[in-house]
Amino acid sequence: MFRYYFTLGLRSLRRNRALTALMVLTLAVGVAASVSTVTILHAMSGDPLPHKSDRLFVPMIDVVPLKSYVPGAKPTFGQAQLAYIDANNFMASNMGVRRTVMYGVAGPVEPARTDIGAFQAQGLAPTRDFFAMFEVPFLYGQPWSEADDASGADVIVLSRSLAEKLLGTVNPVGRRVTVLGQPYLVSGVLDHWDPVPRIHRIIGSKGAFGTEDEFFIPFASAIRHETRHDGGMACSGVERGPGFQGTLTSDCTWLQFWFEMESAGQRGELQAYLDSYAAEQRKLGRMPRHAPNALYNVKEWMVFLNVVDNDNKLAAWLAFGFLLLCLVNTIGLLLAKFSVRASEVGIRRALGATRRDIFRQFLTETAVIGLAGGVLGLLLAYAALAVVRSQSKELGTVAHMDIPMLLLTFAVSVLAALLAGLLPTWRACQVTPAIQLKSQ
Amino acid sequence: MLRMQNLSKVYRTHMIETHALRGFDIHVQQGEFVTVTGPSGSGKTSFLNIAGLLEEFTDGEYILDGVNVRGMDDNARSRLRNEKLGFIFQGFNLIPDLSLFDNVDVPLRYRGFNRAERKERIEDALAKVGLASRMKHYPAELSGGQQQRVAIARALAGSPKLLLADEPTGNLDTQMARGVMELLEEINAQGTTILMVTHDPELALRSQRNVHIIDGQVSDLVQHGATLSARPQHAATV
Repeated sequence: MFRYYFTLGLRSLRRNRALTALMVLTLAVGVAASVSTVTILHAMSGDPLPHKSDRLFVPMIDVVPLKSYVPGAKPTFGQAQLAYIDANNFMASNMGVRRTVMYGVAGPVEPARTDIGAFQAQGLAPTRDFFAMFEVPFLYGQPWSEADDASGADVIVLSRSLAEKLLGTVNPVGRRVTVLGQPYLVSGVLDHWDPVPRIHRIIGSKGAFGTEDEFFIPFASAIRHETRHDGGMACSGVERGPGFQGTLTSDCTWLQFWFEMESAGQRGELQAYLDSYAAEQRKLGRMPRHAPNALYNVKEWMVFLNVVDNDNKLAAWLAFGFLLLCLVNTIGLLLAKFSVRASEVGIRRALGATRRDIFRQFLTETAVIGLAGGVLGLLLAYAALAVVRSQSKELGTVAHMDIPMLLLTFAVSVLAALLAGLLPTWRACQVTPAIQLKSQ
Repeated sequence: MLRMQNLSKVYRTHMIETHALRGFDIHVQQGEFVTVTGPSGSGKTSFLNIAGLLEEFTDGEYILDGVNVRGMDDNARSRLRNEKLGFIFQGFNLIPDLSLFDNVDVPLRYRGFNRAERKERIEDALAKVGLASRMKHYPAELSGGQQQRVAIARALAGSPKLLLADEPTGNLDTQMARGVMELLEEINAQGTTILMVTHDPELALRSQRNVHIIDGQVSDLVQHGATLSARPQHAATV
């Protein structure tokens, strides 16, 4: 019978065309508004490494001076990064299967080609483990070696777009490029890599939804060349000597650090290490705040850094409020549509339809309206996301609809229509056939 | 085929009780063609609605083809209505946006017949009423007489045991009314019991038996030219 009801539902779309169009449009607008905001929210709060995000940890220790410290207060941005001393110590530990320290760098790139001039590029200075830890895909070559990390060798991994810009589409591994005023030997070229959000670079000039870094050089090489840090640094109240070396020996926090553990269950082990490390440092006169040491896995890290801020959440709630408003309107329209069908209900009941048959028929009809609303809502959502992309480069990376969101659009639309249809359908079932048949 | 004993129907509002039927007794045999007459407000329609399981009665007993319908739930009543009854209404009551084929298909869908059987029954029923060639037409494309024929085809398609007709010729001119009446007589001749409400004394005379209702009770029972009874208490059973 479902097929029969579905066919009747399709036919019913043609009846009262203006009313049907109004219902479909009302639903579509509500669905488009909610789905497009949820799409953005979904992408923003997505987990690019779902299979390992619970075993990637950012360590947080508080090396900030005691001044104005409130015990129990929420950790601040200053604690979200590490001082060079601690990052070096963590690198030297044997904790986890991988460790990486990194900081953002930026500077001129000087192409060997004569047809383009020098230009600015942004990059990252991590250690070799970074590539395996964040599963960065390679088009050519490979990451630099451990020996390169140890010696601070001048090797470089280029993004695909930068490699093509500098050297064309040929394999550039083994060639040299001049970046940040130094010649670097190309060890690899990345394939397209566009994690959303960029969990490894939430703190940085481009943020969680920026475009990917264009080049990667060994952390040790960047330090050796005293490559200027491009990003946030917390130095408030910290004693710091002059120049780059002064920063390295200070408690200024400016480096990001990640541990990869073999399993999420090793979190306790890592926490114990962190506590023990902090206790040792306190003996050396550091960490006067005695603040708790913390570990954040990927999801916790995203929450801590407000990757999805309250404005985004509010926007989603508002969109759902709007959908609710559309639903209430749809209920009114459906009541109007179904009220003129009382005679049909009477006829069908007289010919043997049970109340349940009528309920199923009319609810299927509302589902058909929901499907039509879903199709239109999808088009409107695509249009809305296109507008969002054109307005903001940052939102452009998240304003894309994937298959789950596409299916969600139809699910939301059909569910919304079914919800809106419950009352009108129930009322249609209450029709007294005898009265309707006589009044025809 | 149909037996009602001491049946009553009371409509209640906050203030008023209206007795549409009281102490109503009737027995219709299988294969009969019975007309029901009576003035407006006499209870004819209430009787037909109760007979057609479209309304519940307040008290008494109603046996339809051996089934006691008292206390039946909505599903059972709908099933019984679908299997045993066919309806023909004064206003035809066709669904305007369904073709003739689909209109006749409606009761068969609820009966659960398969596609092939439905098709065969629809074609047969429309052929019986002379509209086989217009299956794909819509009700609005037909005359009143033709629409009533479609309603008759729809009522017949499920092979009902009892055909309930409420003023089936009331909206038709004389010629069309005659045609519909002849069709009903043909159907009756083939064994289908017919219970028809009418205002027209001429049509009442064409039936095998006429039941006259006044004030919710059976007043007269007339069988083809001979009055069987005309009792003041009106509770009569044949």
